[in-house]
Amino acid sequence: MNRTRWLYPLGVLLLCGAVPPDALARIKLTTLPVRERVEIQLDHPEIALVEEERIVPLVKGVNQVDFSWANTRIDPDTLVLRILPPPADQPLDAKVLSVSYPPNETALVWAVSASASGAARVRISYVLGGLSKDFHYRAVADHDEKTLNLVQFLRVNNNANEAYDAADFWAGVGERFSKPLGLSETKEVQLNRFASVPVRKIYTCDPTEFGYLDRAQDKLNVPMHYVIKNTGGALGKEPLPEGKARIFQDDGKGSSAFLGEDRGKFTAPDDELKLYLGLARDIAVRRTVDRSERQRIAGNLYRYDVTLKYEIENFKDVPATLDIAESVRQIRDAVRGDSGRDPEWQLGDGSLRNPDPEKSDADKLLFHVDLPARAADGQAKKQVHTLRLTLNNEW
Amino acid sequence: MTPNRIFHLFCLFALLAPLAAMARNVDLATVPSRGTVQLTIYNSEDLTLVRETRVVTFKQGVNPLQFSWANTLIDPTSVELKFRQPNVGLDVLDTTFPHDKPQTLYWNVQSDANREAVIEISYFTSGISWEADYLAIADPEEKALRLESFVRVRNQSGEDYENAQVRLVVGTINLVEKIAELAKLPVGRVKEDLGKEEYREMRQKAARKMMAPPAPASIVMAGAAYDMAAEMEVPKEIIKEGLSEYFIYTIEGTETVPNGWAKRLRSFEAAGVPMTVQYRYRPREYGEQLVRLYLLRNDTASKLGTTPLPDGTLRVFRANGREGLSYLTTQNLKYVPIGDKIELNLGPDPAVVFELLKQKVRRDNLWFQIKGGNLYRKLGEDGMKLELDSQVAGWDERTVFRQRIRNYTSKPVSVEIRREYPGDIVFRSKLDPALHDFQTVQFKTDIPAMGKAELDYEIVARQGYNQKQNRVELQTGDVAR
Repeated sequence: MNRTRWLYPLGVLLLCGAVPPDALARIKLTTLPVRERVEIQLDHPEIALVEEERIVPLVKGVNQVDFSWANTRIDPDTLVLRILPPPADQPLDAKVLSVSYPPNETALVWAVSASASGAARVRISYVLGGLSKDFHYRAVADHDEKTLNLVQFLRVNNNANEAYDAADFWAGVGERFSKPLGLSETKEVQLNRFASVPVRKIYTCDPTEFGYLDRAQDKLNVPMHYVIKNTGGALGKEPLPEGKARIFQDDGKGSSAFLGEDRGKFTAPDDELKLYLGLARDIAVRRTVDRSERQRIAGNLYRYDVTLKYEIENFKDVPATLDIAESVRQIRDAVRGDSGRDPEWQLGDGSLRNPDPEKSDADKLLFHVDLPARAADGQAKKQVHTLRLTLNNEW
Repeated sequence: MTPNRIFHLFCLFALLAPLAAMARNVDLATVPSRGTVQLTIYNSEDLTLVRETRVVTFKQGVNPLQFSWANTLIDPTSVELKFRQPNVGLDVLDTTFPHDKPQTLYWNVQSDANREAVIEISYFTSGISWEADYLAIADPEEKALRLESFVRVRNQSGEDYENAQVRLVVGTINLVEKIAELAKLPVGRVKEDLGKEEYREMRQKAARKMMAPPAPASIVMAGAAYDMAAEMEVPKEIIKEGLSEYFIYTIEGTETVPNGWAKRLRSFEAAGVPMTVQYRYRPREYGEQLVRLYLLRNDTASKLGTTPLPDGTLRVFRANGREGLSYLTTQNLKYVPIGDKIELNLGPDPAVVFELLKQKVRRDNLWFQIKGGNLYRKLGEDGMKLELDSQVAGWDERTVFRQRIRNYTSKPVSVEIRREYPGDIVFRSKLDPALHDFQTVQFKTDIPAMGKAELDYEIVARQGYNQKQNRVELQTGDVAR
């Protein structure tokens, strides 16, 4: 390594406080203590904190510890020098007296006072720009898509113009690890492996979020998601940071096939990680507004009765569960225009009358509909469901 | 070290001659050197009061004195001459700013005898500044923290100040004109064409000089005094005193700050400062997010309270228990008087999930304006007819919310929530809320480690004709489902 260019030179000028300053120049001794240890803390969402441990030889009196850097994005305002406690058999009391900042130079000089001559263990911490991290995931689902093996990776991108022969890394999740990190290098490590994670495969139609496959024919898009809950087993102890997830499936023949990928959101423990893998073309959903009537209550006050009809066919040879999601506000806006007020509604006696209480609120409704596999003769049975809504107090 | 290149105080020995005589081509002058220098640096304005003493020999009669300040940022209108020792028998007759010599003035000093005198010259300069900054390191359990405060003096004035007594003023003063504008001069710069090694050598020399003990002390240090001097040097004390509306920090001993350099000294340090952790949702202060805060107090019970904390940048770390640090945040600390609280905003905590769910909306108490006139009728009242020409003019909008907070940290958390509701509002809940102001509701909850809280409340917003007030009324009761 080119020390002058890449290593942050840490020079120690040993000054004896008793001798007049001019005389000191003749007896100065400059040492360049090497890094004993480097820790790179990546637990902050945006910032990399580098901590270097060095053994600095000090003489009794005042010592000048000169720290300079070039071509790296050290934030000098974040530099902290801490003198670590000495071993019990070598007591050495050292204190930082002051810090001086020379003009037009990326450097600073600590004045360190020492009670005796000896070596002090110091930690220099600073925020370093150009060191970034990202997470990504790789999962292989079983052939029957009931469980999957999830692997979490950390990628550290070093554009900081600095190399580390060995550094301890901590990303805020997973285990700490030690690796070298070269100049302009990207290092990828496996942080966690979660085996046999239960996975739910869900099909969803939601005109607001996923839109129509064919608007003229009222056919909705039916995306397929894998849903992994961050709980149970090795999961649930830490959040899953956001990152791209690639999903493969065991093809039952000793190999695997790529199913799709999605950008997974930050998932707190107990929350669900929902990954969109692709459209399910074998489940067809037609959605029509079957009825829309209004009744005047008084003056310009109306009540609306709206019925939505869903014609659903499952062409798959396995049963499936379809999630039907609706935004009541969107329905109201479609039948009478936007009033700017939240809709006040009641569910009527359609076939969809028991929304999932955990996933429904004042606006969103979510229903689960079980779909049988297509019949032995190849015919898919068409199911018809209705959602009846009364929109009260609209004007 | 560059010589004292700027200020020249000449005793002109075209003596006994009035100022007109100085237009001669041949002058003889002596340059009295600086005795002491005191810098009083203000942080609210680009202003430093410099007070320096010099020893000058006067002859009986009129003595012309020339003072010049090329390439500095001195306000010429502020330059003042005083006689310190003796303070009688000497008098300034007049001050002249010659048109042909910029950045120069002449004093005519009347002396009643031949004597040596200590004079004091004071003036305002710009280009010297100071600022505070802070370093806070919380212990791994987040029960206490170590707070260190620093002062950093920067010298861009164009002049080197050696062995100067440095005083720093905390406070906001009023100036009617900026000193830098009065000075109208560019800031002096360190030569940039020096070779790297040469420059490094120069820097190290300057650094040594900065760290050198004050000149008088080093003269004393010799021979038998050596052992004492070699005792461990401790960080300089910064003495803090109140003065009118301000606080003055006096740095122990003297400091040398060459032009272009900055120097940072510890103002105080306090270990084991007790603190608490609180989570707050206050959109007006912290945006639409739940943030985590360290709360402490600038008082003696908290091992602080010796000085107000001047405005400055504060960096917060947490010790990770393995001799390392975790970076938490950097924030600008606003002036904290003695006894006041200190709040450090660490930003959102991903381990505490904060969700507001709107669960139900209902409208009632509907009032109609009949035919656009002054007659209003309530829906459902006896005799209410379905007037075609009547409009909804007032109603109560009832919205049920659930505030869900999940704590995935290993410690219990305390959460305080403030929500602002403009209009005529009823806040109905069993949350024991309080009004922060007439339209802001505040409530608190504690959540155990790995636990969650579900806080239900109903907002009744009286709209249109129904709105009679602009305030929040707190009601205790069940939330309608």
